[in-house]
Amino acid sequence: MKGLILKDLLNLKSTFKMLGLMIFLFAVIYIPQGNGFIFGMIILMVSMMVVTTISYDDLAKWDAYALTMPVTRKEIVLSKYLVMALLNTLGAVLALIVGIIGSMIMGQSFSTEVLAIIGVLYLIAFSYGSMMVPLIYRFGTEKARLMLILSALIPTGLILLVTQMQIPLPEAANPLIYFFLLLGFTVIMVFVSFFISLRIYSNKEF
Amino acid sequence: MTNAIEIKNLNKKYKDFQLKDVNFKVPRGSIVGFIGENGAGKTTTIKAMLNLVKRDEGTIEMLGMDTLKDEKKIKESVGVVMDGCNFHDNLKTGDISKMLNSIYKNWNTQLFQNYLKKFILPENKIIKEFSRGMKMKLQIAVALSHEPELLILDEATSGLDPIVREEILDVFMEFIQDEKHAILISSHITSDLDKIADYIVFIHQGEILLDEEKETLLSKMGILKCGEEDFRKLESDEYIRYRKNQFSFEVLVNDKVAIRKKYPDAVVDGVTIEQIMLFYVRGEK
Repeated sequence: MKGLILKDLLNLKSTFKMLGLMIFLFAVIYIPQGNGFIFGMIILMVSMMVVTTISYDDLAKWDAYALTMPVTRKEIVLSKYLVMALLNTLGAVLALIVGIIGSMIMGQSFSTEVLAIIGVLYLIAFSYGSMMVPLIYRFGTEKARLMLILSALIPTGLILLVTQMQIPLPEAANPLIYFFLLLGFTVIMVFVSFFISLRIYSNKEF
Repeated sequence: MTNAIEIKNLNKKYKDFQLKDVNFKVPRGSIVGFIGENGAGKTTTIKAMLNLVKRDEGTIEMLGMDTLKDEKKIKESVGVVMDGCNFHDNLKTGDISKMLNSIYKNWNTQLFQNYLKKFILPENKIIKEFSRGMKMKLQIAVALSHEPELLILDEATSGLDPIVREEILDVFMEFIQDEKHAILISSHITSDLDKIADYIVFIHQGEILLDEEKETLLSKMGILKCGEEDFRKLESDEYIRYRKNQFSFEVLVNDKVAIRKKYPDAVVDGVTIEQIMLFYVRGEK
């Protein structure tokens, strides 16, 4: 299992370098504007790399070969979720660092608002990944990518619709309630997703 | 002598193809050549052995253990090379060693280094820049470096030049010196098997047609060249298949010594594995 995770990280080595450069550029452009958008970009870019690892595996026809080694199908699926968790965490940490450095340069104190944005994005990255992985295992990377773009449009559309129709959003006394709701939702998503993926993967023939 | 692989009544059905009651053994201390044309079922059989596809029926034992029950334990001691390179383009040999070190309990870094040196594989290049021969040699080095007892090779020598092929065959011969070891090698380059195989298992349209010691096959079978008149005189149990040319008949016979005795004037030549394969697939009964 450790070997499988190591394999993904080694494969991403060159991607990491490029990513570092991109984050630097984004930071230079967006921080002076005081834009929270950059945190979303960083987390999204890093967390999407789990998809990259799966397409690398497909290219090398790795999975069939890995299964000739003392590795179970469950371990292969679990390793992907662990890689996802690692990448999401890395994204959040990078976003946090950019946020802190940014506020230092701009001469502001680090606001809790940034912390909240990063926390929420961190959880959303998990939900998004949990949707992604089973779709990829079922339909392959190319088709799944398309589906995900569509599935991202649906909630966006809903929110637009709600604001258009001027339905008042419920306002909780304490915004933390939302956060815990999201946390609960994410944890359930990850678990359900893992078992669906495992089921799909166990029945796969190579 | 115990068997490294024992397959009993393996059945697997696809829409347009099926494996029908595949039975064969790979005894320890021997090399078994698994032959058949493309699509005959070689790779499917190997995939069923490794649980890459689910079988419908049958039992498969490897190294004395059931492949469904003791899968992980078996795979610690089996080295597999498939047709092609399965390592990611951007890795280097050092990366592969690191990664496999935490996958195999018995991964032997030193042994791997020795094979890399022996095969003259560069350590500072990424896999993408390897030639096909180098990639294949890398796969074989990997398959040998966790000290396996059994090697399963699916078309491991196809697409390689004769020099590399011979280098690789030498490594296999060295591996088989240990009498506990065994090799199952599927190939359609039958000349390689002429050199190294002890047994030949021949699969055609999902069925095993032939399972015999190579020496017996080559010493007994022969090709009789004759005209139509002489061919008609043959009893049906004296030949296996025949092929009709423009002017003559070529007949694959069971027992060339007996035929020579019975028809002293006839021309009976020896046979190669390739010719046996061709007769079975393209000849008439």
